[in-house]
Amino acid sequence: MSADVIQLENVWKIFGKNSDQAMKAVVEEGLDKAAVLERFSCVVGIANVSFTVPRGEIFCIMGLSGSGKSTLIRHLNRLIEPTAGKIKVLGRDMSALSHNDLRDVRAKHIGMVFQHMALLPHRTVLDNVAFPLEVQGVPKAKRWETSQHALSLVNLDGFEDRLPKELSGGMQQRVGLARALASDPEVLLMDEPFSALDPLIRRELQNQFVTLTKTLQKTTIFITHDLDEAIRIGDRIAIMKDGHLIQVGTPEQIVMHPADDYVADFVKDISNLKLVCAHSIMRDINSETVPAGVNLADAPRVDENTNLDHLIDIAVTSELPIIITDAAGADIGIVSKNILLQGIKGEQ
Amino acid sequence: MNANSRTSALIEQRQSVHRFAERQGDYYSRQFEKIQSSNRITFSFNPHAALLGPLWASARNVWGFFWMSIIATLFALVLLGRGLWGELGADDLARAERLSSKSQEMAIKAQTALESGASNVEVLQRNADNLQRAADNAMLAAEAAVGGASQLIFWGALALIATMVIQGFMANIVYEMKYCRWRGGRSETSGFSQMNLLLGVVMLAVMVPLTLYRFTVATPVAWLIEFPTDTSIFTAAATWLDAGFDSIALKGAGFFNGITSGIRMLLDGLEVVLVDTPWPVTAMVILVMAWRLAGPRVALFTLAALAYLAFLGFWEKSMATVALLGAAATLCVLIGVPLGILCAKSPSTYAVARPVLDFMQTMPAFVYLIPIIAFFGTGKPPGILATLIFGMPPVVRLTALGIKQVPSTIVEAALAFGCTRRKLLLDVEIPLALPSIMTGVNQTILMCLSMVVIASLIGAEGLGTDVLQALQYAAKGQGLLAGIAILLCAMIIDRIVQGRFKRED
Repeated sequence: MSADVIQLENVWKIFGKNSDQAMKAVVEEGLDKAAVLERFSCVVGIANVSFTVPRGEIFCIMGLSGSGKSTLIRHLNRLIEPTAGKIKVLGRDMSALSHNDLRDVRAKHIGMVFQHMALLPHRTVLDNVAFPLEVQGVPKAKRWETSQHALSLVNLDGFEDRLPKELSGGMQQRVGLARALASDPEVLLMDEPFSALDPLIRRELQNQFVTLTKTLQKTTIFITHDLDEAIRIGDRIAIMKDGHLIQVGTPEQIVMHPADDYVADFVKDISNLKLVCAHSIMRDINSETVPAGVNLADAPRVDENTNLDHLIDIAVTSELPIIITDAAGADIGIVSKNILLQGIKGEQ
Repeated sequence: MNANSRTSALIEQRQSVHRFAERQGDYYSRQFEKIQSSNRITFSFNPHAALLGPLWASARNVWGFFWMSIIATLFALVLLGRGLWGELGADDLARAERLSSKSQEMAIKAQTALESGASNVEVLQRNADNLQRAADNAMLAAEAAVGGASQLIFWGALALIATMVIQGFMANIVYEMKYCRWRGGRSETSGFSQMNLLLGVVMLAVMVPLTLYRFTVATPVAWLIEFPTDTSIFTAAATWLDAGFDSIALKGAGFFNGITSGIRMLLDGLEVVLVDTPWPVTAMVILVMAWRLAGPRVALFTLAALAYLAFLGFWEKSMATVALLGAAATLCVLIGVPLGILCAKSPSTYAVARPVLDFMQTMPAFVYLIPIIAFFGTGKPPGILATLIFGMPPVVRLTALGIKQVPSTIVEAALAFGCTRRKLLLDVEIPLALPSIMTGVNQTILMCLSMVVIASLIGAEGLGTDVLQALQYAAKGQGLLAGIAILLCAMIIDRIVQGRFKRED
């Protein structure tokens, strides 16, 4: 089995009655979204999307409403069938699965969390979490035990016998997360899980979520419309617009090198202090003219992966420029206050 | 700046009024400005609308105005027409002639009687006089009616003028309101339509002469009064249907008998439980059930209700009624809930089922009692079937509604965790739809109870029979007591079912 848990190859989704004809026309004539709507009255949901996600990565898909991100995530567990393209999850070709196998994969290997929680209102918290296990036919004692464990992972001990409506929004979403974790799936699909929560609780849950998935080593697809959130929790971010993937990259790549104006517009207001590291802004040691009487040997030395925020802290306390070292401790560059300020402004 | 923007807004409005009116845009933009400049009613007179109200309205697509105007105009014209050409007093005149000829007959008879010396001369003479007096009265009334013609002409002319003046003043106000609606949502029609004008002319051409003719001529031609149809059409259709029913009843006898005996078995079972069990046992079970399921207050009410039924001698009949109702309601739920689920899952099934359900609910019960008798005979099972037809629609509808109202996000979540269709239905959809389903069941039970009286018409014995008898013999007391007994049965069942449900909540 390859290291890539999720592989998408040229996935298309076209909604509408004549989607097959529309798909054909798109391939043969290269129609765009508006033309497809005009000629076939079909809506292009996903347009030629390909990406892979390695094991243990948190992959954020960011886009505004209507960009197709929720449609895309539903392809991964085949809640929506693709019009064309190949989707592999854990090495299985999702489109080729029989109904029984599909149910099995959904129940055992893919957990999903929804924006509106989608808990069963007539069941207790414990029974909600146990639902995926119940579907698999796990006996009651065993599934309660496992669910209890999942609930303690999200710090909800003692709420087992409450009904969902007795819990706050944040707690309900933690129940949703526990439900997704209950059958210990390799893959987690998160469909804007924190969007409906208020900011403070959202922040708390984001942190809790990152810690949890990193310790549990879950491969996660995380949908969000909030770039801040994507940057905070994503190992990599994919930006979607009108069904297309516009750019895929690490938060730093996205912020530092936006692929087009659309992405640039998004990242405009994102603070780069925590994202950009010394490596990206440092100059060659010899290129920088050092004022007379300054001994670079006394200058503070930091690792090349130190972020700007930390560099500022150092620069404030020191008159001297900062020397940047690589992992082996060798001097590889220099950052003066001027360079630092330029770096903060995003100029190079 | 401000004045500038105001004038540009004004110009824009003028342009849009031009687009709206198509013809005479200048006139209407002036009038609309005038109307819009004041909050009070503005006097803006539209001569076209005043003279030719209905035609103006039809061409301008103001149909509400068209109907008001045409009714008022017709009324005025009928008054005028009657005054000008109406054969006023024709009825009275004819009556006077009839009476006076009869009176003359009487007088001749009296004359002959007088000549032959019979004893009834006086009576005959008096009759003749009376008749003559009545004839004179009729004559006077006829003359008065003819004299009233000038009055009719006066009022008619007044009404016509008033109509014209009012529509002249109203037209622009109404048209301006239409313009405002048109600006908001473009679904409102606009412009000047010659097609509609033609339609207005045709309607006037048909309505005015025919109406005038009908009301001015004393005896209009027969086809105008009553639709000229042939009674044989109706007879043939009814006969054809009769034959159809008969042949179906004959061919499907086995099928119908099967249904009847099935229902009878269910009913017999329920009757054994409710009627044949000694009354203290039944009463105790009902009371304990009310108490456990719905609480002490309902139990107390149930006790009072049961006491009423028992002391007034309705016990056995009540239990028979409840057995009847129980059988009907059980069947309703057994058929209705799955049907409702099917309707929710398959839109095409619902498209077929909906008109059928409407039909079942709207068709007066007395109408389908007839084919039920034809197919199933009389007695309790057909009574239950009739109840079924009336009582099933709510449970089907509300089940379908409940299942459809299950949030799609929850269904999606269940599917995302690998739920099978069966588990989805049993563990997600039905539990979530339960409040709606239970409302449907409750409705069905109450509707079934209201059918009990009607079902008793075809021999479904019970409390309904008492009401029916009371109706036949105008026994007010008996009817009221039996009616209250039915009401109490309904309330006991309703409270217990609802109480159980509220507790679950």
